[in-house]
This record gives sequence, structure tokens and C-alpha cells, in this order.
Amino acid sequence: MSSRPAFFLLACSLAVLLVSLLTGGYCLAQEGLSRGSEKWPEGDRISIRDLIENLEHYDGKVVVIEGEVVGDVMRRRGGAWITVNDDPYSERSLEEGGEFAGVTNIGIGVWIGLDMAEQIQVTGGYKSKGDRVRVVGVFHRVCREHGGDTDIHAVSLEVLEKGRPIRHALHWWKLLLAAFLSGVALILWRWRGIRRPKEIEQKLDLG
Amino acid sequence: MILRPSREQLWMILWGIGRIILGVGLLMLVPLVTSLAFREWNTALDMLLGFLCCLIFWMFTEAKKPRVRDLTWFQGLVVVSGGWLVATLFGAIPHWLSGHFSSFLDACFDIMSGFTATGLITIQDLDHVSHGLNMWRHVLTYAGGLGIVVVALTFLFAGTAGAFRIYVGEGREEKILPNVIRSARAIWMISLTYLVIFTAVLWVTMIREGMPLMRGLLHSLWLVMGAWATAGFTPQALNIMYYHSFAVEMITLSIFVLGSVNFALHYAIWNGRRKEILRNVEIRSFFVTVLLTTLFLSIGFLREGVYHGLDVFLRRGFYNLISGHTGTGNTTVFSVAYLKEYGYLAVFAVTTAMAIGGSACSTASGFKGLRMGILFRNVRQEIRRIFSPEAAVVREKVHHLRDIWLEDPVVKNAFFIILCYCAIYFVGGLLGMAFGYPPHVAFFDSVSAGSNTGLSAGMLGPTAPALLKIYFILSMWAGRLEFMAVFALVGFFGVLVKGRGARRK
Amino acid sequence: MVLRPTGRDVKAIGWGIGRVVLGVGLLMTVPLLTSICCGEWDASLDFLVSALACLTFWLSMEVLCGRHEDLTWYQGMVVTSGGWLAATLLGAVPHWLSGHFSSYLDAVFDVMSGYTTTGLFLLQDLDHLSHGMNMWRHLLSYAGGQGIIVIALTFLFAGSSGALRIYVAEGKEERLLPNVISTSRAIWRISLTYFAVGVAFLWVALIREGMTAGRGFLHSTWLFMGAWSTGGFAPQALNLLYYHSFLVEVLTLGIFVLGSFNFALHFAAWSGNRREIWRNVEWRSFMVTLLTASLIMSVGFGKKGLYSDLIMYFRRGLYNLLSAHTTTGNSNVYSVSFLKDYGFPAMAAVMMAMAVGASACSTGGGFKNLRMGILFRSVRQDVRRILSPESSVVEEKIHHIKDTWLDDALVRGAAFIVLCYVVLYFAGGVLGSIFGYPPSVAFFDSISAGSNTGLSAGLVAPAMPAPLKVFYVFSMWAGRLEFVSVFALAGFLGAFLKGRRARGA
Repeated sequence: MSSRPAFFLLACSLAVLLVSLLTGGYCLAQEGLSRGSEKWPEGDRISIRDLIENLEHYDGKVVVIEGEVVGDVMRRRGGAWITVNDDPYSERSLEEGGEFAGVTNIGIGVWIGLDMAEQIQVTGGYKSKGDRVRVVGVFHRVCREHGGDTDIHAVSLEVLEKGRPIRHALHWWKLLLAAFLSGVALILWRWRGIRRPKEIEQKLDLG
Repeated sequence: MILRPSREQLWMILWGIGRIILGVGLLMLVPLVTSLAFREWNTALDMLLGFLCCLIFWMFTEAKKPRVRDLTWFQGLVVVSGGWLVATLFGAIPHWLSGHFSSFLDACFDIMSGFTATGLITIQDLDHVSHGLNMWRHVLTYAGGLGIVVVALTFLFAGTAGAFRIYVGEGREEKILPNVIRSARAIWMISLTYLVIFTAVLWVTMIREGMPLMRGLLHSLWLVMGAWATAGFTPQALNIMYYHSFAVEMITLSIFVLGSVNFALHYAIWNGRRKEILRNVEIRSFFVTVLLTTLFLSIGFLREGVYHGLDVFLRRGFYNLISGHTGTGNTTVFSVAYLKEYGYLAVFAVTTAMAIGGSACSTASGFKGLRMGILFRNVRQEIRRIFSPEAAVVREKVHHLRDIWLEDPVVKNAFFIILCYCAIYFVGGLLGMAFGYPPHVAFFDSVSAGSNTGLSAGMLGPTAPALLKIYFILSMWAGRLEFMAVFALVGFFGVLVKGRGARRK
Repeated sequence: MVLRPTGRDVKAIGWGIGRVVLGVGLLMTVPLLTSICCGEWDASLDFLVSALACLTFWLSMEVLCGRHEDLTWYQGMVVTSGGWLAATLLGAVPHWLSGHFSSYLDAVFDVMSGYTTTGLFLLQDLDHLSHGMNMWRHLLSYAGGQGIIVIALTFLFAGSSGALRIYVAEGKEERLLPNVISTSRAIWRISLTYFAVGVAFLWVALIREGMTAGRGFLHSTWLFMGAWSTGGFAPQALNLLYYHSFLVEVLTLGIFVLGSFNFALHFAAWSGNRREIWRNVEWRSFMVTLLTASLIMSVGFGKKGLYSDLIMYFRRGLYNLLSAHTTTGNSNVYSVSFLKDYGFPAMAAVMMAMAVGASACSTGGGFKNLRMGILFRSVRQDVRRILSPESSVVEEKIHHIKDTWLDDALVRGAAFIVLCYVVLYFAGGVLGSIFGYPPSVAFFDSISAGSNTGLSAGLVAPAMPAPLKVFYVFSMWAGRLEFVSVFALAGFLGAFLKGRRARGA
């Protein structure tokens, strides 16, 4: 088979892909355009889990969340991205000896102004507990501005509690275990060294 | 190098299809007589019209007499798959005229469901249908069920298609018709014997259960026809629930289990080879899968806790499971029960049973027991092959009438057909979901149609969207003919369009 | 005639497994160094202990089993599948010591998910995890991914089950290790080159998107490892959603699409055989299935109407679809979105893409494109065979590096593996439903695990029932090693129990 049919195939597939993109994106989805974001009176704080599990309910509404800033503050043109977690670990992380909550982290991306970003000093990670913030903002199930993100655009941000470093005590039993294992390994290494010549002898015998 | 069929060949194929339509027309005489006997003049007229249409079509196809009166293997396949479709159109005429269908498409759906022994219905107000029309519904499913056995014995398992090479040796036979006639005769003999016996038994039961004499006879005849063809049609909308009778349930249960047994096995037993029952791979495979699905069903019932007690389990659970496993579709619960009372697990058990289906060369459909046996043996072979010394040849066999070695073509074809079934089940489920049905309902009904079972969890009915009806008509047809005849038809049209013309001889 | 494994077999297998574990121990030095550099003393102690445990295991195997120069094919199979399990158990030690797992089973789950490049995880509080531990998670996914290619090139496609016989000629080779070594050398050369280029690009992108240089470097390393191995791990709980960056998404997309290509194709393209890219059957098959899935997805999105412009369609739809099709599992939507924002048809499209999967001999899982190509050609062959005159021989071939003729054994092997996957997916879905998850979620996650993808619709969570975790671990392992491992271990145990003892050697 020459390469001409191959190019033909490729061209066809690209064409159909494009058509499918267009039909899928534009023509069939007109109803998506009609939904406007509806203003909602400022309510009480809600949990992010509640937000995510009922995203159709909160779409376009003003919500209030509280939680720990984790990871990075990613500054870009026009604003910055932070991630806010409000799972049990944001109260007390596993690294601080917190309890297992039976979940992975529950967080959401928040788009904040650069001025708000200045307020955030510490972000959460292995060595630190991030700033605890209260965010008031508009929740988007599918954010048109950010390519369909599920996010919150902050109206205001307030640091409730400063972040702090997490101290890790050295686990002595692990050190002891390491020493014990090194000892065993050393003995085995010697033993292996002793056995080797024997095996070679056996091989020679067989040969 | 594929040749475009000549004009002569086209007429041959048309001639074959005409013969099938003539058969359909002759079948219509049975309901015609029935409706005359019960003085249902309108129905009689419907049947007469249908009969005349068939007759005219047949005469048209006979107009140009082909020189040779026998078909080649390929032409035979095209006749089967094309004839199936044309017969559906003609068979739907009395249905459509009866006024119980909201569109001609619905009528076609019911006819295809009947011919393929599926049992899904879109007929409306079934409880007020005339005896004549009921007779037509059941006769066509009985004839369709037996017709497919003839087709299976002569085509599907003889050629490339099933390629089990069980019934014929190596290579295809050029002449089809003598074969067809021979197998058809034997099949009708067996079927009619069972029909008479079971109708008698069921009649007595019906009378005991409080039915009048004449209605009892008609109902028992229809129930036997529906069950034996593993179609699952009944004369009342409530299906088997209508009778509220343990005895009727047990009798129909045994009829459709018998109907789902391979006809080649029936022959063997009639000829005195009783030991075959125990050794046959399909019987074994059937037992294993029934056991497994029953286990799942009972776990599901225990969790859901709606059906308590052994008799309830037997009548509401096991009956429907076996009805699903044999591809019948007789049911003792409302279709909404699958959604609401069964629970997911039990629904999966029934779906699995339907997907696997009955035996090859029977009126049942689905993967078929023979293929499941081959699949199982193949796994064993793989394991053994890994652990054998490099040079050793590892062979496995299945026993079906005689020992069959698992060779590459056999296994390949078995797998291929199973995958084709998976594909139509999956596409149907997807389509149902696209129309907004919940996934397990969509998959349940899709498997039911593809495996020609006829149980429904509520998707396929008169109100289903037209596109779904068309898809499932095709799905029933393709599943019934085990894809090969369908490929033949598709290929035939492909060749018509772009095949090379034959050189003049 | 299956032989019971001899003492020498067992010793050789033990030695081989010891070697595999030594490799795991050596790998641990990378996170060890990372955590020392970052001043994470507690984490570095975890890795020290674990590395020493691996070392001890290796040494005791050397002492107990002696040293072996080479393995036979049969021993190699058992080493592969058994070594995978041993490496998982020991690789889970640092996970367990880190205190982020509520049980050892969870740790084992995550490690298996890493080695098999699946990407599902049960780790809790990921956002507070040490850099060392993150390095370990991603490294083992990277190494596991490259490892499976070595295995695929030497075993899976050489042996009976994959039965593709494209890379090696007829018959199994007796000497294994030289093969493994030459293959793995070439693979690492390609992988590391891409690694350097990919990390550089990602690093620049992450810095542009507002990350600090140090964290940006670490994140780009991890993202590359996760994407290239089609593992789908990411260092933050939000996965790719964390970055909110079109650029990062496009880069990772490019990386995992490249990573999902057949390494034999990579070889060919690197050695100048560029036309191969267009002619390759896997590439074509990939395009066709991708197109079909994206069509279904656009219909689904259209009905749902949430993702309504081209950018959104690309970022939220196509990105995840490609992530699914290459069985990566990077995702930039919440898992609940698959259920609520996608709608059933789009969700089904993602499931279909996951089930089909990526190329053979890559880090991707699922049916594999090669098999899809073979099955498609097989259909064509059957249709053509029906249409052809009786005596003519119909041959089909597929092009993968070189033209390969389709024979029945090839198709049989391909169909068998595809069927095994179907069964695995289905069993997981049913099991999930038994535990009360909605069927669509249960099937989505089951397919994701069986095809080593790693997308989740919400079933996989630390709180899921333990039996389900165990099944998922099994499913990832079986799917990754293309069931050969399952057969090999089953056969090994079977041979132990009832195999015939070899006559005195």
C-alpha cells in the first residue's frame, strides 16, 4: 500500500475530527449559552465537598469557603491561582499526627486578584501548614473564562490564621530498625561470599 | 479477486427469496382458517390481503425462470439474510392492517421479534387482539424458530461462518437445497411431536386451572409454540403472569429448556445415544453457567430482600433466569420489577444469562454453550502450554456428539462471534443511554434483543424512539443469523457496487 | 504432560525474584537522595529502612537459592508475575512508613497502581506529602512503565498467549536474559532522551505559570514521569486541575500520547523509518477509535450542553478522552464531573476509549490497538472469503513494522486476550455493583483499573471496601501482564499440586 491512502485516511480523520469538534462544541450546545450566572445573597460557609457533589445547585452562585492554602500561589497575568483545601487534614494534617479521614484531599482552585495574592505568606506542604483563608467568590461549575474549569472566582479573601512550619520528630524505632537491617544484610553478604567458591567448585565437578 | 454477480445470479437470489415469501404466505393460511373458524371477518380479510401480497411477490420472482434450480453456498447466505428482511416486511402486513400498531415500523419490529424468536413486543392492547392475529403471531415465531435451526444446521455451522465443521467435514458443499430439505424434515418431525405432546399436557392443566375448553386449547397451543421456539410470545399482555399457575410455569419452563437444546443432540438422543446427554459440552456448559448465575441471583435476592421463600425464588427468580438463559423471554414479573425489585446484582445475573444464551443449532441465541465450552477449554490449553516443555504440542478437545480438537480456526471463529455479540450488546446499550435510559435498563434490553431473548426492563416497547426500534430490529436480525449471513449481505451489496464484472464466458 | 517444577526451577525463580527486588531497592536511592537534599529527615529514614529491607531480601534469596546465569522461558514467566507481587509488597514499605495510608493494603494498592502505570490512588492527604515520597510514587510508575515494555517485548508477544509472534519468529527462545538486556538498554535510551526534553519544556511552562523554580523543577519531573509512563500520577490531589494551565495540559497531552506509542514504532522512527508512522496499523486503529469516541463524546456534550465552546471541548473533553485512550489517567475535571457534567454518552465514550487502550509494547493498557487492527482485518477477511469463489485463497495482512499475514492462530490469540479483558472489566463492574455503587460508576472504575488507566468516577477512595481493593489490585496486575501472569502463576501452582514428577534428571 502506498502512502497516499494513508494521507487520505489522515486527512479524512482530521476533517471528521474537526467537524465533530464544531458540531459538538457549538451547534448542539446552544442551550449552554443561555444560562446566565445568577446573583445570590451571601450565605454561610459551605464545605467544598458539598460544593462539588452538588455542583449543579451552586453553579453561578456566590459561595463562602474556608480552608488551608496548599501548594503554590501561581501568579499570572490578571491574577493568581491558589488551591484551598477544607478536608480534615486542613485542620490537622497527617504530618502533624492527624487522624485518617478516609478521603484524599478535598480542595478547589480559586482565582484571586494579585492584591489578594500578596496577603498569602505560607502555603501548605510537607514542611508547612498553609495560611487559613476565608474566600467569598462566585462558583463556576464550568468556567467559561478558564476553559471549563470547576473553580471559584474570589470577590474577597481574608487570612484567618497564619501558616506555620510542621515539625517532624525523628522516629527512633526506624533508626534502630535500619541499624538492625544493616547488620543482617552485612551477615548475609559475608555468607554469600563464603558460598560462592563452593558453587563454582560444584559446577567444575559437574563439568 | 471478487466478481460482481451476474444478472442470472441476481435472479437466482430473487427466486430464493420469492420461495421464502411464498412460505410466509402459506403460513398465513393457518391464521386465515383460524379467524374464519371464529368468524373474525376483519382479521380474515387482513390475512387474505397479506397472503395475496406474498403470492404476487412470489409470482413476480418466478417471472424469469432461472436455468439452474440450485443455489451456491454464497447465494444461499444472501437469500437467508435478505429473505429474512423481506419476509419481515411482508409478514408485517396483517399486523399493520389489524390496527394494533401505531406505525408500520412497530409492526415490522414485532415480526422481526417473532421470526428471530426474540419475544419483544410493541403491539398495543394485546388483550383485545383477535384469535387469528394471535395465531399468526405464534405461528410465525414457531416457524421462524425452526427455520433458524434449519439455517443453522445447513449454513452457520457448515461454512466459514460458524466453521465448527461439526456437521460437515472439510470444505463447503456446493449444493445447498438437498441439505436444507433433509434437515428441515427431521426438525419438523421432532418439533411437531413435542408440539402435540406438550399441547395436550398444557391443555389439561389449563382446564384444571379454570380455563374454558376452547380457549384452553388455543392458549396451550400458543404457549407451546412461543416457549418451544424460545420466543416468549404469549396471547395476553401479562405474559405468564396471566395464568397465576405453578403448573403452567413448570411446563413452559421444561418446554423452553428442551427447545434450547441443540437439535443435533435431539437427533442423537432419538437415535438412542442417551449417554451423549451427560458427555455433551453444551449441556455441561449450560449447567455450569446456570449454577453460577443462580448463585448471583440468590445473593442479589438476599440483599434486596423482596422475594422471600423457596417457591417465590423459584417462580419469580429462577423461572425468569432460565427464561433469560434459554433466550426465551417468558416472564412472571412486570418489567419494572427488574428495575425496582430485583436489585442490580440480580439484574446482572439475568443479563449475563441472556448474553450467554442456549445451545448452538437450537432456537436459542446468544454466545451459545458450545462457544463457552471452547472458551473454557482454551484457557486450560493456554495454561498447559506455558508449562509444557518447548517442543510439546498441547491439545485440548471438546465433546459435542464426537470429540472435536481445538484448532486455531475453530477457536478463532468462536471468539470472533462472541466478540461480535459483545459489540452489538454494547452499541445497543450505548444507544439506549444516549436516548436517556438508565445504563442497566439500556444494557438489559440491548442484551435481550441481541441475544433474542425478549425480557425487557422497560426500554423496548411501543414508546421507544424510532431510531432505537430500527437498531434493535437489526440487532435481533444480526444476532439471530450469527453475523455471518449479515456480513454476506453487506458484502453482497459492496460487490454490487464495486466488484469487478465477470468476463463473458 | 505437565511437569512438576524441580528444585532447580524453584531456586532459579527465587533467585530471579531476588534480583527484581534488588532493582526496587536500588530505585529507592533516588527518593532517598531527594529527601536528603530537601532536608526531609523522617522521610529519608523511611527510604533507608525500605532499601535495606530490599537488600536483605535479595541477599537471603542469593544465599538460599544460589546464583544462576540464565533463566529458561518458563522460569522467566513465573519470575515476571511473582516478582511483580514481591516488588509490590516490598515497594509498599516506604508508603506504609510515611503514615499516609490507613492500612498496608492501601499502600500495596498504590504501589501496584504505580508499577502497572494505572494511577488510581488511596493515599490520604496527598497535599502534605514529602518531596521524597512524591519522587518515589512517580519514579516507580516510570520504572514500572519501562519495565513492562521490556517484559512485553521479550515475553508477552513472544509467547503463546499474546501469540502475536511479530517480534520473534516461531518458537520460544531458551535463553532469556541476553534478550532482556539488549531490549531494556534501547528502551532506556529513548525514554531518558524524551525525559530530558520533556522536563525542560514543562519546567519553562510551569515557571511561566507562576511556580517557583525549585518546585517547578520537581513538579515537571513528576508530571513527566507520570505522563510518559501513562501512569497519570500527579503530585497534588487535584491532579492536572491544580495547574489551571492550558500550556501544561497541552504538554502533558503530547507526552502521554508519545508514551502510548509502541516502542517498536519508536525504534523504527528513530532509526529513520519515518514512513512507518503513517502505515502502522496501530496508529491507524488509534485514529479510528479516537474519532468514534470523540464523535460520541460530542453528541453527549451536545445533549448536556455544559461544555459549549471549542476550548472547553478540547480541555475538558478531548484531554480526558485522550488521557483515557492512552490509558494515562491524568485528568483536569473532578471525578464527579464524569457522572454529572459529562452525561452518559460522553461517559460511555471515555469508558470505550479506556477499554480499547493504547498500543501494544507501550506503557498503555487495554485491548491494544494492534489487536483492534487484527480483529478488524479478520472481519474483512471473513467477508471477502464468503464472497470469493470456493477455491480461491483469501489472505489479509496487517502492517506493523513489517507486513504480517493474518493467520488463524494470530486472530485467535488476539480475540482471546480481548475476551479476557472484557471478562475482567465485567467482573469488576458487577463486584462494584454488589457493594452498592451505581453501575455506571462501578463499570467506569473497573474498566479504568483493568485497562491501567486511572481515571475514577468516584468509586476508588480510601473508604472503599477491602475486598474491592483486593480485586482491583488483582485486576491491575492481570490487565498489565495481559493475563499471561495469571495463567503462569495458576499453572505453576497447579503443576506443584498435581504435575507429574520429572523422571530422574
